[in-house]
Amino acid sequence: MKSGKIAAVRSDPVGNDDIGLERRLELFRLQVEIRDCEKRAHDLFLQNLIKGTSHLSLGQEAVAAGFGVAMRKGDKSFCTYRGHAHTLARGASMEGMLGELMLRDIGLMRGKGGSMHLTSVEHGVLGSYAIIGAHLPIACGSAWRAQYLGEKDVSVCFFGDGTTNIGAFHEALNFAAVWKLPVVFVCENNLYMEYTPIGDVTAVKHPAADRASSYGLESIVIDGNDADEVYRTAYAALEKARDGGGPSLIECLTYRHSGHSRADPAKYRPPGELEEWLKRDPLTIYRQRLEEFGVAEDAIIAIESESKRKVEAATATCKAAPQAPVELLTADVYADGGWAWRN
Amino acid sequence: MAELTYREAVAHGIAQEMERDDRVVFLGEDVGKAGGVFKATVGLYEKFGSLRVRDTPISEQAILGAAMGAAMTGLRPIAEIMFADFVAVCFDYIANEMSKLRYMSNGQLSCPLVIRTGNGGGVRFGAQHSQSVENWTMMIPGVKVVAPSSPIDVVGLMAAAVRDPDPVIFHEHKALYATKGEVPDGEIVDTLGTAKILRSGSDCTIAALALMAPRALEAADILARDHSINAEVIDVRSLVPLDTKTILGSVAKTGRLFTVEENPRLCGWGAEIASIVADEAFWDLDGPIVRITTPHIPLPAADHLEDLALPSAARIVDKVRRVLNG
Amino acid sequence: MSATVVMPQLGETVAEGKILTWFKSVGDEIREGENLFEVETDKVTIDVQAVVSGRLSEIRVGAGSVAKVGDVVAVVGSAIADRVAATNMTKLSAEREAFEEVSTPIDKFGPAKGPNGVRVTPLARRLIAQAGLDLNRLAQEARQRGSNRIAKADVRAATRASPSTPAPPQDSQKSGEVIVLNAVRLKTGERLAENWRNIPHVFQAIEVDFTAIDRVRRKYKDAFQQAHGFSLTYLPFIARAACLALEAFPNVNARFDGKALTLSPETHLGIAVDLSHNGLVAPVVRDAGDLALVGLAKAMRRQIEKARAGKLTPDDLAGGTYSISNNGAFGTSFTAPIINAPQVAILSADAIRLKPAVVSTSEGDFLAPRMMGMIGQSFDHRAFDGAYSAAFLSRLKQILEDRDWGDELDG
Repeated sequence: MKSGKIAAVRSDPVGNDDIGLERRLELFRLQVEIRDCEKRAHDLFLQNLIKGTSHLSLGQEAVAAGFGVAMRKGDKSFCTYRGHAHTLARGASMEGMLGELMLRDIGLMRGKGGSMHLTSVEHGVLGSYAIIGAHLPIACGSAWRAQYLGEKDVSVCFFGDGTTNIGAFHEALNFAAVWKLPVVFVCENNLYMEYTPIGDVTAVKHPAADRASSYGLESIVIDGNDADEVYRTAYAALEKARDGGGPSLIECLTYRHSGHSRADPAKYRPPGELEEWLKRDPLTIYRQRLEEFGVAEDAIIAIESESKRKVEAATATCKAAPQAPVELLTADVYADGGWAWRN
Repeated sequence: MAELTYREAVAHGIAQEMERDDRVVFLGEDVGKAGGVFKATVGLYEKFGSLRVRDTPISEQAILGAAMGAAMTGLRPIAEIMFADFVAVCFDYIANEMSKLRYMSNGQLSCPLVIRTGNGGGVRFGAQHSQSVENWTMMIPGVKVVAPSSPIDVVGLMAAAVRDPDPVIFHEHKALYATKGEVPDGEIVDTLGTAKILRSGSDCTIAALALMAPRALEAADILARDHSINAEVIDVRSLVPLDTKTILGSVAKTGRLFTVEENPRLCGWGAEIASIVADEAFWDLDGPIVRITTPHIPLPAADHLEDLALPSAARIVDKVRRVLNG
Repeated sequence: MSATVVMPQLGETVAEGKILTWFKSVGDEIREGENLFEVETDKVTIDVQAVVSGRLSEIRVGAGSVAKVGDVVAVVGSAIADRVAATNMTKLSAEREAFEEVSTPIDKFGPAKGPNGVRVTPLARRLIAQAGLDLNRLAQEARQRGSNRIAKADVRAATRASPSTPAPPQDSQKSGEVIVLNAVRLKTGERLAENWRNIPHVFQAIEVDFTAIDRVRRKYKDAFQQAHGFSLTYLPFIARAACLALEAFPNVNARFDGKALTLSPETHLGIAVDLSHNGLVAPVVRDAGDLALVGLAKAMRRQIEKARAGKLTPDDLAGGTYSISNNGAFGTSFTAPIINAPQVAILSADAIRLKPAVVSTSEGDFLAPRMMGMIGQSFDHRAFDGAYSAAFLSRLKQILEDRDWGDELDG
């Protein structure tokens, strides 16, 4: 990135700097890029260049960035159809992600999967899952493998508040706890299960944290819009798992700025709610945080400009990219690369 | 050479693969310490230990999900779903997840796992524990489906399934667990997608699966002895991949096809074969294709009623005779 | 450990074979070299031996079914080869189109109903069309026997009644016994007809005095039988003489493709053998020109026995450069055989018997009983002319009459 002048860290007013400037810049960069890329996705959808559906993470960047920085290369992440942010946060390119949304050959899966199934094994993104709750047991399986082989990676599983009421959630939590698996369950509580306030359909106040004790786990609720808090919590949970301490369940309070999916104008929100949460916009919080830690305005602007430049470049590349060749229609149903079910 | 029961063959096949490859692990409900509710996995826990043979909670979705996650990241898991009827409880993993993973990820992810399950009726367990469900998964693109009828096939197809890089659903038949058969010593590896001609014949082809295969064979003996009808009996063994070459070759020779299916009538596996034969082998057919199936009903618990429902050797003989001689 | 048994390569142009009989059943132990099954091609019926020992664990292609060369027909041993299913499947994908997963046949064979409403099964429709039978007649016959259906059995019965021509006349005459030709005879017949059609056959014969040979034969008869287990007939002498004569007349030992004559440096001698119910075959003795009388006799004997036992391989039948048809046993005076393309000639040896002949001595010409027989040759007049052929036959006669045959048998 283009470097502006970065002022020296001064003794900080908010306590020990366990995170460090380099990481903070990374946290900021990721949130900015996710925001810009998602906004671009919003626009491209309106232009009908992104088809089908798209579940945007606008407003939920801090969770993705916090975990993205805390996770090591080799850690495995599993997310839902609202997975654009998590995919970018693990290092996948904007071209790959936007390209997949635009169903072009340049996409991460060449258009085979689409927005809801973003996968980049090279970055540890082992799929985005559209069936609510399905990937929680899958993350357990990945963790079981690590435990069995003595490998040190951790499996991280992102899901929304609505997931906490489906059967697979409960099976996975119990399973992970009993087998003491190296898996971290991250609930992004954005207050709405699709179009319904989560409180209307959940027996407890905190859909994830209040269930933790059912599985012998610690109840953890954090401010999901503060990337530092997310980072610290993520790091602790990851290390606990890595050291054989078993699973964690973390509830991150956050809010999505747009509707459930692109098709949803979110008229079900009470008036004023969105505005309140916009005051707690993760990017606003983190911009301020950087300033508190002495990062110069130039440096911040440099990150923001670079992000916009990258988005423009990616958009141009993707717009010019062809769609996948038709041979892909029947490719990769089976391991031999084909689709044959008979001789 | 040894004579093993079908259930012993299950453990034998799994053990063969676990010995060969450290990545093969096995999980399910009561599969380890208890040796399985059907005693089909006796000895594995003692032999391979609690890290490789794991007893799970009653959590079918977690069992299949975990098997999938492990398979995606480097292990070769075998997961048990105790009664085949229970695949309905975790059907998402078969229908939506493991079958589509490779395709949606454009080949980045794969799922080399085996789901083994106790399929079929004739054991008086009632409607929810007696179904033949192999046709449920036959129709999902991206999985493979087998149903062996003999101990040697159990071992060989289990090995083939474990070694296969795609998800395989391995239907064991509960009513066959006690049957015996010869299993040679040494490593046995069969090939998915291959049918077996159990009996050569020229008057008609009878295609059967699992429990229906020995019944078809019994019927063929009676047909030859009492009715001078020389039937060719094919054990289909593998629904996906389907060995259409063997079946079409047989029909080319005999001109007549019967299927014997334990699943309830509608959309049974035989319907697909009948369709293929009616299309590709049209000019070889000397008469209509006839499916002999369980009626389209849930299965009763009462033994005399259940025995009426599932095709018996006598019912097969009667139908074939009437159709060919009529 | 296991092995697959495949339909072997049965001959250069043969693509598939029909398994007639399995000599072993599933579960039997088989030993390497044992006969496993019998397969019929359009040229020959052969036995296929096992190449491994073990238990026959599976038969994939049963008796009566056809398999392509290379197809797996059975499995020996306890398991099937450990091939990853993936490699198997790759081939499958390439053979089919996603939108043509099932091969709908494009043939159309006749109507499904006869003119009188009698129904015809799909198989019967195909068989009727392929055999050129008359649906009307079959439909009438069906009605007459009270049936409303024509099936395979009905077509087969009709085919037996009229083997090669469709619809006999309505005023059906009483026919005698009908003998249907089997596949080998039919195929042989086709080849003979083709050769007869394409090659301008000219026949020449020459009378040969076999008295000297006869004397040698009778002298060495017992010793030969003792040493080799079969009796010494005239045929080896004739064959040996032919090989010697061919050295001097190479155009007779050649292949003709319609344009050019390709001379053969070696002589591969075909011996026509009449298999009473299974047609005519001409197994080849390779490099017959390199064999002396005894060796040639033995080689010929081997091939003839193989032919009679039905054990000829396609290699036995291929590559002949000249043929001999031995008709002596039938007592005929001369026979004009059909040339075996792409060869250009074929010799016929007929009955050798005592006949009155004029013998010239220094004291004058006398009548004497001599062992006389006709040696004939059909030749392809495109390849060479009558003078050449006659010269060859003269030379052959001279070798037969004048050669010191005892010398060959003494060695």
